[in-house]
Amino acid sequence: MTDVDLLKGLTPEDAGRVLALGSRVVLNTGAELFHLGDVADCVYLVLRGRLRLTLPMRVRSHEEDILVEERSSGQTVGWSAMTPPYRFTLTATAPLETEVIALPREALNSYFAAHPDTGYAVSMNLSCVIGQRLQLFQAMWLREIQRMVELRCA
Amino acid sequence: MEMLLMGACLSMFGLAVVCLAFGAATRDLGNTSAPAPEVAKEAIKAAASPARFFVDAPALPLAARSRVPIEALLLQIENHVRLEHAAAECFLQSPTASQLHSRTISTLVN
Repeated sequence: MTDVDLLKGLTPEDAGRVLALGSRVVLNTGAELFHLGDVADCVYLVLRGRLRLTLPMRVRSHEEDILVEERSSGQTVGWSAMTPPYRFTLTATAPLETEVIALPREALNSYFAAHPDTGYAVSMNLSCVIGQRLQLFQAMWLREIQRMVELRCA
Repeated sequence: MEMLLMGACLSMFGLAVVCLAFGAATRDLGNTSAPAPEVAKEAIKAAASPARFFVDAPALPLAARSRVPIEALLLQIENHVRLEHAAAECFLQSPTASQLHSRTISTLVN
């Protein structure tokens, strides 16, 4: 379980204690885990399967869910639950049967208050997950800006 | 004399028929060539251009793009996002200006 990105650096015992705070959720093919704008109470760790993270986009006057990112086993989804205003900024659906562990924010915060070393390690891992997303989308955004400039100034 | 007149009449009739046929043929040609739409011209130009390796295929005209089924368009968008994602990941592994603006084979932008 220590190969889960959120639990890197923890001992197997500590990782097991953190995971014990959550509950397993099995999503059938096509099921939605959370929807854009929903209140975010839980962080999810993907155990098996895959999650599609999408955003709505207007395509020929229809609203379509456009893929933004995919997450697979060992990866964390739904870190909006750990950052105000605690609302999901994407929609997550399972394109195939997928199993996740739902970790409630309240339970995590209580546990980390009692075990600050574990809280520090998990917070550092979480900041890595958020930082990677930020850097990735910053690069993608700049590539689009570059294309727009080339198109407008050609 | 009668034979000569009959021959002259037949040759005049034949000439008239040939003139009518020629007029009809040239009128049809003019009608089809004059108002050829731009889209068709572009498509013909694209189709007529010889295939070359290492050269991008000509972009579809706007009118042709709007005819692409929405499912195909959504697949193109998804493919584009995946390619952009991969390109951005490559940039993060070795951050250079050239890596940041490296091209992909996405049909959405090429």
